Amino acid sequence: MSEANIVTSNEQPAQLGRQLPVTAPAVDIYENETEILLHADMPGVVKEDIAINIDNGKMTLSGCRRLSSTGAAAWRELAEVEFRRTFAVPQSIDINKVHAELKDGVLRLHLPKSEAAKPRQIEITAG
Amino acid sequence: MMTRWSDINQIFGAMDLFRNQMNTLFNDFDRTYNPGRGWGTAEMFPRTNLSDSGDNLELTAEIPGVAKEDIAVKIQGNYLEISGVRKPDAPEGYTVHRTERPTTSFSRSFTLPYEVDAAKVEAKLKDGLLTMTLPKSEAAKPRQISIQ
Repeated sequence: MSEANIVTSNEQPAQLGRQLPVTAPAVDIYENETEILLHADMPGVVKEDIAINIDNGKMTLSGCRRLSSTGAAAWRELAEVEFRRTFAVPQSIDINKVHAELKDGVLRLHLPKSEAAKPRQIEITAG
Repeated sequence: MMTRWSDINQIFGAMDLFRNQMNTLFNDFDRTYNPGRGWGTAEMFPRTNLSDSGDNLELTAEIPGVAKEDIAVKIQGNYLEISGVRKPDAPEGYTVHRTERPTTSFSRSFTLPYEVDAAKVEAKLKDGLLTMTLPKSEAAKPRQISIQ
C-alpha cells in the first residue's frame, strides 16, 4: 500500500466528525424506595444529541455539544465536547420504564426499580 | 497471494488515529479549558467563550441548572459581571449517593476588550448556555476610512 493511499483513507469526513474530546459530566445520584434518580450537568446539549444505553448491567450516558461560533475568538474556555460517562446499574432496575427529562442543561434520569426489588411489608397473621 | 485487507486497514486506522492525536497535541496548549487533558488552570465558574464579530462581542457562558430569574448580569462600559445562585435541586425523601454538582452562588467579572452599549445588549438562556450579544459602543466600532 503506497503512502498516497494512507492519506486518502485519513480524509473520510465520517471519521473526523467523531473525534470530539470526551469529558465526564458532573452527576448527583439519589435513591428512594421506588427509583434511582440521576442528575447530570450537560450544558449546551440538545435532546436529540443525547444517547442512553443500558446493557449488561452498565449504563452509558453520552451527549454531544455543538457550539456555533462566529467571529474571532478572544478567549475560549468551553469547547465542543462529548459528555460521556458509564455507570454500573443494579439488576433490580426495570429497564423498560427508564425515562429522562432535559431542562436548562441538566438531564434528570429516572431509573425505576422493578416490582420484585421494592421493599415489601409482610403482614403477620395471627394463627 | 491472499491478503486480508481488513486487517491491514485496521492497522492503518489505528495509525491515523494516533497521527490525529499528534496533530492536535499543541492546539489546546494555550487554552484554559482542556477536557480530558491534564494541564488546565484553576476552575472558573461559569466557563465562558468570548468572540469578536466586528460590530458585536459575543459571550457564551456555561450555566447548567440555573433559571433565568437567578442570573444577574451587570454591565458598565467595558466591565461585565455575571452572578447568580445555583439552587440545590435535591428531591425530597431520597437518600443521597453522590453529589458532584455544586450548589453555590457564583460571580465572575470580566474586562471586555471594548466598551459596549449596555442598552442594546441581548442575553438568551438556552439548554444551560447563556449567550450574550454585546454591541460595541460607537467609538469602539471598526470604521471604514476612505482615502482622499
